[in-house]
Amino acid sequence: MTAQLPLRAGPPGGPGLAAGAGQAVIETASLGKRYPGEVTALDGLTVRVGPGITGLVGANGAGKSTLIKILLGLLPASSGRAAVLGLDCARQGQQVRALTGYMPEHDCLPPDVAATEFVTHLGRMSGLPATAAKERAAESLRHVGLYEERYRQIGTYSTGMKQRVKLAQALVGDPRLMLLDEPTNGLDPAGRAAMLDLIARIGSEFGISILVSSHLLGEIEQICDHLVVIDGGRLLRADSMTSFTEVSHLLLVEVDEGLAELAAELAARGLPPRREDRGVLVQIVSDTTYDQVRDTVADLGLPLHRLEQRRRRVEELFRDSEDGQPGEGAA
Amino acid sequence: MTAENGALAAPGSGVIHDIGYRHYTGPRLGRAGIVRALVWHSLRSSVGIGRGAKAKIIPVIAFVVMCLPAVANAVSVAQGGHRLVPYDTYLFQLRVLVMIIFVAAQAPELVSRDLRSHVLPLYFSRPLTRLDYPVAKLIAFVLACLALIEIPLLLLYLGTIAQLHGPGAIWDQTRALIPGLLIGLLWAVLLAAIGLALASLSGRRAYATGSIAIYFFLTWILAGLLDSISGGRAHGPLAGAAGPATAGARLSGLVSPFTTLDGVRRWLGGTSRGPIPPPGGYGPLYGVMFLLLLAAALGLLAARYRKAAIS
Repeated sequence: MTAQLPLRAGPPGGPGLAAGAGQAVIETASLGKRYPGEVTALDGLTVRVGPGITGLVGANGAGKSTLIKILLGLLPASSGRAAVLGLDCARQGQQVRALTGYMPEHDCLPPDVAATEFVTHLGRMSGLPATAAKERAAESLRHVGLYEERYRQIGTYSTGMKQRVKLAQALVGDPRLMLLDEPTNGLDPAGRAAMLDLIARIGSEFGISILVSSHLLGEIEQICDHLVVIDGGRLLRADSMTSFTEVSHLLLVEVDEGLAELAAELAARGLPPRREDRGVLVQIVSDTTYDQVRDTVADLGLPLHRLEQRRRRVEELFRDSEDGQPGEGAA
Repeated sequence: MTAENGALAAPGSGVIHDIGYRHYTGPRLGRAGIVRALVWHSLRSSVGIGRGAKAKIIPVIAFVVMCLPAVANAVSVAQGGHRLVPYDTYLFQLRVLVMIIFVAAQAPELVSRDLRSHVLPLYFSRPLTRLDYPVAKLIAFVLACLALIEIPLLLLYLGTIAQLHGPGAIWDQTRALIPGLLIGLLWAVLLAAIGLALASLSGRRAYATGSIAIYFFLTWILAGLLDSISGGRAHGPLAGAAGPATAGARLSGLVSPFTTLDGVRRWLGGTSRGPIPPPGGYGPLYGVMFLLLLAAALGLLAARYRKAAIS
C-alpha cells in the first residue's frame, strides 16, 4: 500500500495502541466517488485506520455511507483505491465481505420472522454451516442482550431491540471488522448509551475492529480509539482520540464586566478568543497562556470572576475546522 | 444451562456471568455453498415451510388439485379402463389455472418480502455476488414449479403402469412420459422466471400478486379471443371435419406464455390436442417466442437486482 499518510505521520495513540498500528484495517488512497449528475460524494480521501474502534464522523451527506459501500465492494470508486484487511475492495470484494459484518443505517428487518430464525439465516449467508449458524445466532443475540426474546417476531420489538438485531446479524459470522452505519439512529438517550456500551464491548473484549459512523460527535467520542472526520467527501482529520483531546485544552475566562474589551485585547495579544455565555474561551498553547491571560485581565483592570480549564469536546474542534476552512463545507 | 453457568461463575458471587465471546474457528462455506443454502431456504419458503400454517394453504391446495386427475386416472385404469390423461398436456386448462394461482401467490413470497423489508443490503454485504441472489431465487422457484407439474405426471404414470403387464406395455408408457416431463420443465422454467421478474417489480405483495395474475389471465384470454376471431374454432371438437386452421389462428397462441408453451410442444412433435390450433409451419416462431419471453424475464430480473445491489 502506497497510501500517503500526511495526517498520521507520528505514532498514533499511546504506546499501548501503537503496537497494533503496523497493520491497517482500512486504507484508502485518493479515493473519489462521483455519482451521475456531478454529485461528488468522496473527493480524494486518503486515510488509514488501524485496529480498535474508529469513529467515522461527518455531517449527513459527508460521504460516510458512500465510503462504507465502497469498502464493502458494493460500489465502484470513481478514482483512487481502497483496501480492507489488506484486500482490494474493488477486485476482492467477496473476500472483504467474508471478513466484514455490516450494519446498515436504515431499517432492514422483516417483521414476521423470529429474531433467532432471521439471524440464523443470515449466519448461513455469511458462510456458516447449518448447526454453527444456529449456535452463533443464539450467541450473537445473547451478546446483544436479546436472549430471552429471541423467539419473538421482530415486528413486536422496540426500536432499540431492532437495532440490536441488526448488530447481531453483523456479528453472527464472527467478522474481523464491523462497519456500523449510524447505529444509534432513532434511539432514545438510554438506548444510545446501551448501544454504545455494546459497541465498546465488541471492540475491546471481542477483539473485533469497528468502524462506526455517526453525525453526532459528542456521542461516539466516548467509545472510540481513533477518529476520522470527513466533510464534503474530504478528510478533515484522522488521528487517535488522545491526540484529538491533547490539543484541545481550553481556558474559560469569566469577568463580571468588560467582556468585549477583554476579548479584543486577548485577540490583539495573539490569543484569539471565542465567546461563550458569560465568558470567553482561549486555547491553552502552553503554560505561559495562563500568565498571558492573567496579565491581560490585570492590565485592563477587569474584575476576574473565574478561570477554568476545560477539555474541549471534539464537537467544537469540528466546528473550528469548518470555520477555518470554509471551502470544505461547500460540497 | 443456567445451572452450569452459575457453577462457572466466581464462587460466592451469586451472579450468572457472561461466558464471554468465542471466535468461530470451524469450516466456512464458499460462495457455492451459500447459494445452495439460499436455494434451500427459498425452496422451503416457496411451499410455505417455516412460515406458519397460513402460508401453506395455497401450495397444498394447488398440489392436491393438480394431483386429482392422476388419482382419477389410477382409479379408472384399475377398473379396466385406458389412461385418461395425456402426458404431454396433462389437463391443460387445470394446469394453467393452478399454475397461475401458485405462481401469483408464491413468487412474491420469494422476492417481494425481502424488497418490502429492505433486507437486500444484508445479503449483498455478504460473500455473494450481485446476481447470486436472483439466481438462487430462480433455481428455488423453478424447482417448486417443477415439483407441482412433474409429481402429478409421475403419479399418472405410476397409476397407469400399476395395472399393466409386460415390459413392452410399460416401455410404451415410459416413452410417452419422458416428453411430458421435458415439456413440464419448459413450463416450470418459463413461468418461474416470469413470475419472479414481475414480483421483483414491487415490494407490495398485493401488487406483485395482482400484476402476475393479471398478466397471465389477460394474455391467456386474449390468446383464446384471437383464436376465435381468426376462425380458429375450426379446430374445436369437430376439427377434423372443418379443415385446417387459418394463419391467424395458428399465430394467436404467441400472445400468452401458456399457449406459447403449447405451440412449442406441438412444434417439437406433441400430438395431444391443445387449447390452440397446431402452429403448423409457424412452429419455430413459437420456439423463438419462448426464448424471447424467457430472456425478457431473466433480463428484467437481473436488471432489477443490479440496481438494488447499489442502492
